[in-house]
Amino acid sequence: MELLFQVLVSGLLLGGLYALMALGLALVWGVLNIVNLSHGALIMLGAYVTYFLVTGAYIDPFAALPIAAAVLFAIGYLIQRGVLNLVIRGPMFNTLLITFGIEVVLTYLTQLWFSADFRTINPGYAGSNYTVGGITIPYVQVLVFVIAIGLTVAMWLLLLHTRTGRGIRAAAQNLVAARLYGVSPKSVYALTFGLGAALAGVAGGLYGTVSQINPYIGGPLTAKSFVIAIIGGLDNPLWVIVGGLFLGIIESLTALYIGSTYRDVASFGILVLILIVRPSGLLGRTT
Amino acid sequence: MYRFLFFIASLFLTPAAWAQPVTFGASVQLTGPVANTGRYYKDAYEFAVEKINAAGGIKIGSVHQKIALKILDNQSDVNLSVRQYVQLLAQDKVNFLLGPFASNFVLADSSIAEKSRVPMVQGGGASDQIYSRGYQYIFGTLPAASNYFGSTIEAMTKLNPRPQTVALLYADDSFDVSVAKGTRELLNKAGLKTVIDERYSTNASDFSVLLSRIKSENADAVLVAGHETEILNFIRQAKSLDVSPKLYSFTVGVPSADFRHALGKDANGASGMTAWLPSATLKDQWFGDAEKFARAWKTKFAYEPDYHAASGVATVEALVNAIQAAGSTDPQKVRDALTKVSFDSLYGRVAFDDKGQISLPQIMVQIQNDDVVPIYAGKDFINKLQYPLAPWSKR
Repeated sequence: MELLFQVLVSGLLLGGLYALMALGLALVWGVLNIVNLSHGALIMLGAYVTYFLVTGAYIDPFAALPIAAAVLFAIGYLIQRGVLNLVIRGPMFNTLLITFGIEVVLTYLTQLWFSADFRTINPGYAGSNYTVGGITIPYVQVLVFVIAIGLTVAMWLLLLHTRTGRGIRAAAQNLVAARLYGVSPKSVYALTFGLGAALAGVAGGLYGTVSQINPYIGGPLTAKSFVIAIIGGLDNPLWVIVGGLFLGIIESLTALYIGSTYRDVASFGILVLILIVRPSGLLGRTT
Repeated sequence: MYRFLFFIASLFLTPAAWAQPVTFGASVQLTGPVANTGRYYKDAYEFAVEKINAAGGIKIGSVHQKIALKILDNQSDVNLSVRQYVQLLAQDKVNFLLGPFASNFVLADSSIAEKSRVPMVQGGGASDQIYSRGYQYIFGTLPAASNYFGSTIEAMTKLNPRPQTVALLYADDSFDVSVAKGTRELLNKAGLKTVIDERYSTNASDFSVLLSRIKSENADAVLVAGHETEILNFIRQAKSLDVSPKLYSFTVGVPSADFRHALGKDANGASGMTAWLPSATLKDQWFGDAEKFARAWKTKFAYEPDYHAASGVATVEALVNAIQAAGSTDPQKVRDALTKVSFDSLYGRVAFDDKGQISLPQIMVQIQNDDVVPIYAGKDFINKLQYPLAPWSKR
């Protein structure tokens, strides 16, 4: 029983990080109708930015997160303004190809600049934990979880209650009407992509504190984010959290009861199932 | 027209000194997820060829010929590497093949060597599968995967108190499956009880479930056959979930400086194995000895060599020795000579068994105070193993 609870706790904490990773992807997908295949590469860049702030400038990793977010916001804003805006009206296949291209370019540039060395963000307190009733709860993972949930809620509030957020939602729901009301699609799109990238940046910094960083971590993270976005839908950031937690727990239970090799079978099996049974998303809209 | 005449004239006027160099070709992971280890092979091939050329090159009969090297980047893609080996032979007309890194690559690429009847000497694949197909043209300088944990298990039986229960975890690729198969037999023979025997997906990043099971089954020793990225995550998550078996050992990572650097203090206590340590007792015709080699490598490439590097150099030296023994660059003659080579190198004694694989003992090593310390190499302990490992809170 203890084992089951431990696995559930681990799955839940993992799910929080998953949710944060998927949040940026879902936002960009929902508003711009772009499935951003470079999302994982942006997470990877966020991890590197945090890593260099921690090892180069001796900033605490959690204090470095806002800086990573700002840097990634700028990168995302520029990518949208300079590249994606040019093809935003093209067929979805074109934007898929372009974001795939950006993924490859970012990955290989990172290897060129920073080498393929493995790195970890490993502050002295990483790995400290608290045991209660035989269940070990790692502090850093809890903090990661709290930040992930906090950012998701903040994102939800931003979209719901601010003028900018309403502009973003308006552009997603009815572009013509939004333009009539003075929303400038170019800047709303760039802002949204920037926000998506900033979320990826924070997710990357957090990922580095619990896992390892190298230029090639992006691909699998994009895939995982994609699954969560499908489960959670694109309507509401809060559903993305549920999607992330759901996936984290399903993966952990699969590893426990069926076998570790079946983790990905489970997560991508769910993807296929949802696409068959509820193509509009399990919890919300995906198109 | 003039250019053509000049070309024809140059064919006749070519002096003997312009003799074509002997070309070695390889497709290596310079980019992609495996680039971190792939670089050892590129650097090893280039360094060895540079040294051998500086010493006069290969002596074939009475003629000294230089070695030329053609290295392609397979981007960590097996299919691309197969195509590149075809290209190396068909288009670039290389004389002999050096190997890529990793068993799954060697498994695929060696078929090209076999089909073209050109010997491939590789230092990157250890899986027993490579040598179980009756191939005639593949030679390898990494000892058999099935015995990677041999020295570790032998050492375990001599520990006091002896570990009672063992967890065996392995990734689902060719090399690690071979390791697990061999390890299972060794554990049975040693009379150690295996409480967990589980395969996980390559590139897994979350080990919390396996770690929780290790804790709940109370495994004394944990043996992991996997990749460096997985093992980094495994150790980090072991710390954060407070899982501290009395001993844990990993097939890769421990001997690599980059791996230890990434983990910092948390790397201490991790055991592993290596077929090579940079010892001055390993003499080498071109590099002096292994210690000098390691120093020269560090100066040249700004990182420390591990067994991959030494194994890569050994493949070049094996080819050179075989070509010299054959007195020819005929692939068939060199292949026959490779079956008979036997020489001392910075990597150890290089000789191939009838399947084409080297036989070298694995030295059990452990990271102690941020350094790799040799622990056990058959018969006796060289240094004291930190055992049982203290709980994380007391490290």
